[in-house]
Amino acid sequence: MATQPSAPRKTDIGPPHYEQFLHPVIKKNYGQWKYHDYLKPGVMVHVAESGDKIYSVRVGSPRLISVDVIRMFADLADKYCDGYLRFTSRNNVELMTDKEKNIDPLIKDIQAQGYPVGGTGNSISNIIHTQGWVHCHSAATDVSGLVKATMDELYEYFVDMKLPYKLKLAAACCLNMCGAVHCSDIAILGIHRRPPKIKDEQVSRVCEIPTTVSSCPTAAIRPTTVEGKQTVKVDDDRCMFCANCYTVCPAMPIADALNDGISLWVGGKVSNARSEPMFTKLAVPFLPNNPPRWPEVTDAIKKIVEAYAGDAHNYERLGEWIERIGWPKFFDMTGFEFTKYHIDDFRHAAETFARSAQIKF
Amino acid sequence: MSDAVTTAQIADEMYNLVKEYSGKKRFKSSDLTKEIIGKHGDKVNKKDCKAALRELMDSGRCVYGYAGGSFIALPGEEGAAKSQ
Amino acid sequence: MANHKLRKTPLLDDLQKGPWPSFVKDMKQIAVRKPMVNDLLGQLELSYKERVGHWKHGGLVGVIGYGGGVIGRYSDAPEQFPDVAHFHTIRVNQPSGWFYTSQALRDLCDIWEAHGSGMTNMHGSTGDCVFLGTTSEELEPIFAKLTEKDWDLGGSGSDVRTPSCCNGMARCEYACYDTMDVCYNITMEYQDELHRPAFPYKWKFKFSGCPNDCVASIARSDLSVIGTWRDDIRIDQAAVKAYADAGMDIRADVTRKCPTACMRYDGKEIHVNNKQCNRCMHCINAMPKALRPGKDTGATILIGGKAPIIEGALLSSVLVPFMKMDKADDYQEFKDLMERIWDFWDDHGVNRERIGECIERVGLGNFLEAIEVDPKPEHVKHPRTNPYIFYEEYFEDDGTDA
Repeated sequence: MATQPSAPRKTDIGPPHYEQFLHPVIKKNYGQWKYHDYLKPGVMVHVAESGDKIYSVRVGSPRLISVDVIRMFADLADKYCDGYLRFTSRNNVELMTDKEKNIDPLIKDIQAQGYPVGGTGNSISNIIHTQGWVHCHSAATDVSGLVKATMDELYEYFVDMKLPYKLKLAAACCLNMCGAVHCSDIAILGIHRRPPKIKDEQVSRVCEIPTTVSSCPTAAIRPTTVEGKQTVKVDDDRCMFCANCYTVCPAMPIADALNDGISLWVGGKVSNARSEPMFTKLAVPFLPNNPPRWPEVTDAIKKIVEAYAGDAHNYERLGEWIERIGWPKFFDMTGFEFTKYHIDDFRHAAETFARSAQIKF
Repeated sequence: MSDAVTTAQIADEMYNLVKEYSGKKRFKSSDLTKEIIGKHGDKVNKKDCKAALRELMDSGRCVYGYAGGSFIALPGEEGAAKSQ
Repeated sequence: MANHKLRKTPLLDDLQKGPWPSFVKDMKQIAVRKPMVNDLLGQLELSYKERVGHWKHGGLVGVIGYGGGVIGRYSDAPEQFPDVAHFHTIRVNQPSGWFYTSQALRDLCDIWEAHGSGMTNMHGSTGDCVFLGTTSEELEPIFAKLTEKDWDLGGSGSDVRTPSCCNGMARCEYACYDTMDVCYNITMEYQDELHRPAFPYKWKFKFSGCPNDCVASIARSDLSVIGTWRDDIRIDQAAVKAYADAGMDIRADVTRKCPTACMRYDGKEIHVNNKQCNRCMHCINAMPKALRPGKDTGATILIGGKAPIIEGALLSSVLVPFMKMDKADDYQEFKDLMERIWDFWDDHGVNRERIGECIERVGLGNFLEAIEVDPKPEHVKHPRTNPYIFYEEYFEDDGTDA
């Protein structure tokens, strides 16, 4: 156990105040910005009421980065940006300068380090993602590898702005979705497909049985006794592989090399622009875990991106495009098979049934 | 004020509960608060319990654990490292 | 340089190729001086080979007095990978808007180089700066060094998770309130709730400056604060003309895509019926030089967003259609609302139930009544369609004639 340190401990001080991290031009024009523009892929200019300008160069990052990479970005910030930089909500790095002449040499240096500039406007921005096999106990796949393999395939869409509108991808390695993939244009979701294996001899020692029983959303778990030991059993027919029981009871591992894999979801958004925020919907219920490159997954994603790129209107998000053309047409264009798994059977499922005679033939 | 319940007393009572049920029940902060209020009624409120919890945890007599939700436990061996 | 034998990783090595920056290349370089990363690569290679993860969770790890900020993590193959037998995560509360100086980042790197694996997530899903992999013995020294440099830990477990926000007024003309200041203020106000888990389950705050919602607050936070305005969209007709002259098809790309059909373009100017505008942002996104949000700004407060676990995913729903988010008042209106909500959750929430699920269970109407918010048409897409109403009162015939 940790020992008490000698110096008085500082606690509950919170994060450093943001103001000390703002570029002087940003500080001066805080709340006084007038408009922004894209100068080229990955380069934005924000213009203030005062006429001041700040240029931002956006750089793709794997998110999983070492202190060496962070120091490399710190060096670039010192060389070109008076030591100021930020990260975006999609884990890109943004280097900001008030000197337009710094942009091209900065980009050259970034690219020389092997990092791409892009992810602005009508592009595919960085994929937000979770830990995967690198660091998570409940992962059904490795998202760092999946994201690397996918972005290698979609690279041209990151460094250019040639899509009908922005396209946001997210990857989560299990249904916990710490990467909130339920509202992205395209979501890559790791899934389990086999009920948990119960380590009967451990359950009473490492788990609270009532908590474990009540953790199941479908009431599939019941207390039982095996060889005199209190444990639980699972009604396999009612298990939909959410792994909530495993989270509260580590003696119920659900990961399974033969059955874990990937599902693909499409058409979500969080922005309120035009249509309301939307959840993603199932496109492909299962693809195999095939590391290190997951070719079945990247092929399917490319099919979606290419269908969207070729058919959507300007300013149309993927979900808006599908709503306009209709789901039958989406499955037709992508060639994905529509199965019974695509039809919801959890809570409020009936709200998703088609209840009109409006059908396109 | 002779019958006032002190923060230290609440912290002690919370510690005793955690100790008594160690290995049987995982108390959440709110469980301990409810037990204490149940015992002392109007003489204690949620704020008193919050202060007592902080004193208890800062003293190191109890530590926080996590098993899908946070709970309060006696310091000891790192369960997950040894089990499974 | 290395005293340890570098792991062979034939499957992972394939991910060193390709145009997107490679985490494998990065990890292999740092593995030369960090045995932890060497074993991390070894274990990850095993996962790639076997197609299954090798981590265990849970346990009693943390810094003294805190229940949040450290996540216990252990290898399930410690004999094979002894340097990651204990491999805990530390969440460091990021600054508002993820702005840093190079010096601040170097401070963090130096601490992590000395006491951990040197691998990070910049940033984690909730927004923290995440340090990946250290042992229990290092936790107090890391915490002491972090606080010495004015950094603190973020949330984890059943507590207020580290709040996050978009870059707001720092570098965006759409910001309708000061997201970075609110985020900082709220983080400081609720330090106890952030570090000492006392809730039924996690609680996430996210602050977006406009309805574009760049931090996905409506999907990813229990309490979503989304900037908006009540007065008229500001129009610069000269800039409208400039867009038209530059070849923009304003009718096709802007006015006809307006979801409420509240605007028209007469070939020279844009006209908006602001009473019909639902603040979706499309026209402003399309013509940022010509159109801007109004000046009577504030935020819409929404509640209950979450991912699927346990009862299914939810988007946040409207709680307060407009709140001023008044800095001069130290955001007291917002904080008073939080106190009432948390009191309710404390009394009615059950273990591992997010507030959105709790509201579904007790009913939004009952929830609003309990937290003293008047029901409004803005709270629903439409009034109920089913007649199964839980009327709470009826008349008794008291014998007198009407």
